[in-house]
Amino acid sequence: MRIVDTKGQECPAPIIATKKALRDAKTGETFKVLTDNQTSLDNLSRFLYDNKTEFSVEQSDNSWTITITKKDSDKQLKIAEEYCKTEIPHFTKGDFIIVFSTDKMGEGEEELGRLLMVNFIKAIKDIEHLPLKMVFYNNGVKLGSFDSPVAEQLRELEKMGVGLLFCATCVKFYHLEEMIKIGDLSNMFEIAQMMASSNNIVKP
Amino acid sequence: MKVDLLQMVESGGCSAKISPGQLEEILKNLPLPEDPNILVGIDTHDDAGVYKVNDDLALVLTTDFFPPVCSDPYEFGQIAAANSISDIYAMGGTPVIALNIMMFPASKLPMEAYAAILKGGYEMASEAGVRIIGGHTIDDTPPKYGLAVVGYIHPDKIITNAGARPGETLILTKPVGTGIILAGQRLKMADEKDVKEALKLMKILNKTGADVMKEFNIKGATDITGFGLAGHALKMARASNVSITLKMRQIPLIGNAYRIIDEGCIPGAAFRNLDFAGQETYFSGDLDYNLKMIAFDAQTSGGLLMSVPQGKVDAVLNELHQRGLSDSTVIGSVTAKCDKFLYIEN
Repeated sequence: MRIVDTKGQECPAPIIATKKALRDAKTGETFKVLTDNQTSLDNLSRFLYDNKTEFSVEQSDNSWTITITKKDSDKQLKIAEEYCKTEIPHFTKGDFIIVFSTDKMGEGEEELGRLLMVNFIKAIKDIEHLPLKMVFYNNGVKLGSFDSPVAEQLRELEKMGVGLLFCATCVKFYHLEEMIKIGDLSNMFEIAQMMASSNNIVKP
Repeated sequence: MKVDLLQMVESGGCSAKISPGQLEEILKNLPLPEDPNILVGIDTHDDAGVYKVNDDLALVLTTDFFPPVCSDPYEFGQIAAANSISDIYAMGGTPVIALNIMMFPASKLPMEAYAAILKGGYEMASEAGVRIIGGHTIDDTPPKYGLAVVGYIHPDKIITNAGARPGETLILTKPVGTGIILAGQRLKMADEKDVKEALKLMKILNKTGADVMKEFNIKGATDITGFGLAGHALKMARASNVSITLKMRQIPLIGNAYRIIDEGCIPGAAFRNLDFAGQETYFSGDLDYNLKMIAFDAQTSGGLLMSVPQGKVDAVLNELHQRGLSDSTVIGSVTAKCDKFLYIEN
């Protein structure tokens, strides 16, 4: 059996020697590494453990013998641990929702109202915090149509993690089922619940 | 006689730090000083302490010293000084005065080496606009050198490791791998070019990076030294109560650092740092082992890690590149606090 003697050597030399031996070894081959240094033993153990290599340690007097068996690298388990979240929220959200009951902003000329609404939606991503959700009902759902002037902006906000909720009844009523390709359809209970539980409702 | 300082040490630079876990345990049992004028204390493990003098002025204090990272005494002096002053820059402060801290084996090394270390320190300090106005030397082996530095800052403009906010992007201003290259040098695994590059990087003051941070009103930053990129990122995440994701493949490395660590040259300090941070870190299932250990490689006089708000990232990067910090790169992001403080991915 091959023996790699690293006695008298300090880290990282024992790891270098062990790694080289691992590379040179055939699959299934067993070899021993000797060390007389506690830190080297600790680091070697962690190195082998982290690399999912099979090993055992024996102590004798003031030195240790590590017995290593090289496994088929393909058989090493890939652990797919659960990630905290697959979609990482990269933007901070404020404690408010925005409600769109119409596709125009304010009272007055229709054309101006549409323009203001477009500008309002474009400005959302630049305000200090993003809304928790954006809710669209009645004429508001038209903003979500793919040919709306703010379709791109809404898609972007959705990507930034803002939930977009469209009133299903309204979408059906205006025959926009095929036109709205973003957000989620929602019912009046969910919309009412959300408005009732939100601390702040912004309505342009 | 040609002096080779590396003959005298087993671990150099910030690798020689005490294990961060041990340190934290000890500091925990010391009473925190209570004084409303302490704006940044040891509780957040920041780079330097900040003490408010009045509403317009606060003092920034730091000290750092370590055994040689290179053979040449003059270069060692330069690097140790740049490293010591860096903590002031990381807080957004302006360093002004300093004291030398030196341990020197007078019976084993010629006094020319002593003079050369001091000269290196003096010249680096001058480049930073810092005046060295005193110091203290003890006879000891191996030599150790560094500075205690005082800087000033406006109390409202302090940049801390508690200032990172979700949604921000992390930019690092220097490549990583000084610990690996220096260990590789000792074992003759690093070539001369790599060593030269590492030495050059360690001699770069973090002044330029700090200037850019101030101009762009950056609130969260830290400098990367002995606890490694991951260790300092973890401290930042904890202090800011956020989660940080590091994208290891995006991190620029010094020369052949990857090859050297792949050959098994993993500095002991990387294991110490991993020990400290591992519990609070999530490693993605497919994370390359070498990249994992690179994340924990102890840096000497490393770069600034700054947390930059969306919308400023391109402009900040551009400015850093323009001013010569051409290795500055986006290496990760800040999110709301998740399960773990730190996430390390390929």
